[in-house]
Amino acid sequence: MSLYELLGTLETGFVFGLVALGAYLTFKILDFPDLTVEGSFPLGAAVAAAMIVQADWNPWAATGFASLIGFVAGYATAYLNVRFNILHILAGILVAISLYSINLRIMNGPNEPLLNVTTVFSAFEDFGYPGYMINPVFLGVVVIAVKLLLDAFLATGWGMSMRAAGANPAMAEANGINVGNMKLYGVGIANGLTALAGALFAQIFGAADAYMGIGVIIVGLASVIVGMSILPSRTIFLATIACIAGAVLYRLAVAVALNADFLGLRASDVQMVTAGLVALALIIQQSGVSIFKKKNKEADK
Amino acid sequence: MIDLNNIHVTFNKDTPLETRALRGIDLHVPRNQFLTVIGSNGAGKSTALNVMAGIAPAEQGSLRVGEFDMTDWPVHKRAPYISRVFQDPKMGTCEDLTILENFALAFGRTKPRGFRFAVDPAIRTTVADRLAALKLGLEDRLNDKVGLLSGGQRQAVSLLMATTGETQVLLLDEHTAALDPKTADFVLEITNSIVKELSLTAVMVTHSMAQALHTGDRTIMFHQGRIIFDVSGETRDKMQVEDLLHLFKREQGEELADDSLLLG
Repeated sequence: MSLYELLGTLETGFVFGLVALGAYLTFKILDFPDLTVEGSFPLGAAVAAAMIVQADWNPWAATGFASLIGFVAGYATAYLNVRFNILHILAGILVAISLYSINLRIMNGPNEPLLNVTTVFSAFEDFGYPGYMINPVFLGVVVIAVKLLLDAFLATGWGMSMRAAGANPAMAEANGINVGNMKLYGVGIANGLTALAGALFAQIFGAADAYMGIGVIIVGLASVIVGMSILPSRTIFLATIACIAGAVLYRLAVAVALNADFLGLRASDVQMVTAGLVALALIIQQSGVSIFKKKNKEADK
Repeated sequence: MIDLNNIHVTFNKDTPLETRALRGIDLHVPRNQFLTVIGSNGAGKSTALNVMAGIAPAEQGSLRVGEFDMTDWPVHKRAPYISRVFQDPKMGTCEDLTILENFALAFGRTKPRGFRFAVDPAIRTTVADRLAALKLGLEDRLNDKVGLLSGGQRQAVSLLMATTGETQVLLLDEHTAALDPKTADFVLEITNSIVKELSLTAVMVTHSMAQALHTGDRTIMFHQGRIIFDVSGETRDKMQVEDLLHLFKREQGEELADDSLLLG
């Protein structure tokens, strides 16, 4: 693997780190398996691209607006679940499916190229380093900043309530926490992060595409599972690091797999490799094999 | 303080499994009273508690607590006024959070939660002081996850958490049933002292007749969804478990068939 490829992998790894933080919030904190991200990732891309190209918005404002719209999508999923008792997974699928059509509307077609326009990455062009070197640094800073904000949020009264709502809903209610509201905001925030990732992804690769959401849920989940099964995750601080590291490691693993000529894989095999890696991580997690963690199953009981 | 007026609860209504759990309960618990509730399985005692807590919706009738008509209030809205200790020690606390974080949640019951950090030095000192009174050494383990504590310790923590802030009403749902006898006695002891110290209005559901008679100041018994007797004052002080059984036989004309009520 060349340096160029390595930096490219880091770049996408950091972008998907945002998706992983969202997946951590829904799957681990709220215990709400959320499939909306399949739609909110391209939604973020579509909104950002449309605002930049069609409405001529400032790229930073467009990116922020895309996150906000992602929040609305997540809120809609949680609303279907909380208000109408629709199974969480089904609610996510319904919203994701409808977002597919919505994205086509937003972009007025299946994709929206972002060539020769100002993106958030244009701001770093004057630094004298090529984009493939500076973009991963910028994205790394973004994902670390989001991680720290999320850590801080989860330590506030609200964040603590969200953790209780996911871990022990009966206890949370008995302590005056509106569990339904916590789901609405939590799933909203997670999809806001996913849409932010989508918006940044589109700006790096020069286009938003209606199909770019396929497999995002697996990537997010894979990052969380891979990260948390090989790194310590006792505290929120460590767990969010593990999620980001998981996203980067997962991207590296995919890149290595696709690069290994003897395996004979093509770029189109990426989804299959992804699914295989997730299954492998889950199997390893169940059989209690871990690389850096000491075996402490007995101590847990 | 607590008023139940003609409360009816039916589970699985209009199905072959229809069960009439409560058939018109009228109950008035004055302020500062410690009421114990007894009854066999399916008698309706837990359902009555769940109606007060807001978990079981009343099909008919009304509930007042203090100055509020809470009949249609959701659980979380009742929380500032009513707190609750569960039967299962795992239910009352959040095992992934530390002792301190759990208390921070409990403080949120009566104080609004916000975007400030949940745990601050003031909470830390208050919690350490209250835990020290238990003499379990928990004040030195504030940053331990609650999942590391034993059942009895968790139940003691739940009890302290349920009595933070300006809570007036404490509901205890067989909160010693899942503990070994020695620990159960310990938890009951701290229950008594906290209820007295904070002059709470308390309702304790229990499976043990002896516990029901020796704790608190009034005992009621549920049977088939009705309150079949209600004793307090001197009559109650003189009562033994056998007297309770005679009373039951006289009221119902049948022998009490639930062994678990007699044991313990």
